[in-house]
Amino acid sequence: MQAAVKTEKSRMRRLRLLSAIGLWLMATAPAHAFVAYVSNEKSNTVSVIDTDSWTVIKTIKVGQRPRGIEFTRDGKFVMVAVGDDDRIEVIDTKTQEVVDSLPSGPDPELFTQDAAGKLLYVANENDNTVTIIDVQKRIRLGDIQVGVEPEGMTISPDGKTLINTSETTNMAHFIDIEKRQVFANVLVDARPRFAEFKRDGSELWVSSEIGGTVSIIDPVKHAVTKKITFSIPGLRREAIQPVGIGMTRDGKTAFIALGPANRVAIVDAASHEVTKYLLVGQRVWHMDFTPDQKYLLVTNGLSNDVSVIDVAAQKVIKSIQVGELPWGITIAHP
Amino acid sequence: MSSRISIIALLLLASSAQPGHPANPRDPDWPCAQAKVPEISLAAVWAGPPLDDVQDKWKDDANISSLVGRLAARRTPMEEAQKEITQYLATATDKTRAAKLLFVGLFDTLNAQRFSVMNGLERATRKQREAADMIRSATIALQALQGASSPDQQKVNELSNQLTWETRIFEDRRRVVKFVCEVPTTIDQRLFALSRIIQQEIE
Repeated sequence: MQAAVKTEKSRMRRLRLLSAIGLWLMATAPAHAFVAYVSNEKSNTVSVIDTDSWTVIKTIKVGQRPRGIEFTRDGKFVMVAVGDDDRIEVIDTKTQEVVDSLPSGPDPELFTQDAAGKLLYVANENDNTVTIIDVQKRIRLGDIQVGVEPEGMTISPDGKTLINTSETTNMAHFIDIEKRQVFANVLVDARPRFAEFKRDGSELWVSSEIGGTVSIIDPVKHAVTKKITFSIPGLRREAIQPVGIGMTRDGKTAFIALGPANRVAIVDAASHEVTKYLLVGQRVWHMDFTPDQKYLLVTNGLSNDVSVIDVAAQKVIKSIQVGELPWGITIAHP
Repeated sequence: MSSRISIIALLLLASSAQPGHPANPRDPDWPCAQAKVPEISLAAVWAGPPLDDVQDKWKDDANISSLVGRLAARRTPMEEAQKEITQYLATATDKTRAAKLLFVGLFDTLNAQRFSVMNGLERATRKQREAADMIRSATIALQALQGASSPDQQKVNELSNQLTWETRIFEDRRRVVKFVCEVPTTIDQRLFALSRIIQQEIE
């Protein structure tokens, strides 16, 4: 009996020791070993950032005028729209080289993919269309006619609706993905650049660069219900140009890049009120979260760097020099 | 030879992005493709503590004035500038006040530099416009001389030489203007980078 109690005590001690070692390892191991790919519009390169050391570990030569950039769903490739070469280039994340390309329309700028990562929807700035591409077969399935200078692209969380914004028409187009047809248009302020759904699909946010606002759209009624405006003492209204939008997974906080205002606005996503402005770099454009949502990385086109924002602390903690005119960014596990 | 020069001169004037073609019709003297932003807004580069209590007092402090001069000079590499800022603020008795004085000094100095470059660009545009008019008139005069039934060869040669020089100067200036158009943006970038270093030091 005594021997059994002793054995049990010893087993418990071992378990406690192992748990302690486990906890210690979790605490000391790097919590954010991800890689970020940044498209540099002017230098025709993609910078690869290691989020452990916050340094550029590789610069990849790509086609001309790289802008929209995104990981494939399986994380094996990065797709980048090279507008002046009229195609989407595919970077192998293992070799970090361009290995293939996808056929878009003329001057592809931004794109989005379905949840399965099989279909890619590309906004072609120069021919007023959205091109649908089969990612695996690398073929073009068709085009959808939209407004003038299409740009912002996103898919509703239920996967049924594709949103495209057109810069000159000043509209958010609602496209039925199954029918491949526009079924509603919502007028927003001048030069809509980017569209993002709340995770629960209850709201669609569209930024307007020239209008200086973010429109909150009811995706069922297809109507603007509210507009977020921005005010920074000492800055002219026209210097505040909302572009990229990032929303936390819990849907509570949104970050909005304000272009030449050199700031990111932090917005309470429930009340739609701006709670803080963070000075980042010059001409802040697009952004992406690390997969653990601890950090938000934003591209600064004029200062040629990427700012790292600590999401919980709501503070800029680092700037990383990249190529010329950084535009888009995508982050995933290495 | 002379007819070739006149053709080149005409082609040059017709095809060049000469300053008579402003990027924005509202700013006819602005020769650059880059948008004209007359001055840098303080709020675009500073999110630190209010600056009302320092204004231009940086000029009264010889150390700060000298540091501002070194940091504002584009030949000073940014790594060196960063070291100088860190060292200077580390020894300051009131770090925040010293940072504010340093920033205002840089803001005033670099904004003034930028203003001067932009003025120079607009002056150059006006000169180029005059030069373009002169080349155009000289080309027409040369063609008239050459088309005469018995051309005065000495006059043709003189005018032809003049046209060669004027065209060369015009083209050189055009190249310089294109290069100088990058300078206001370079100054913007430098001011922002210096201001960010200063703000990080007092956070």
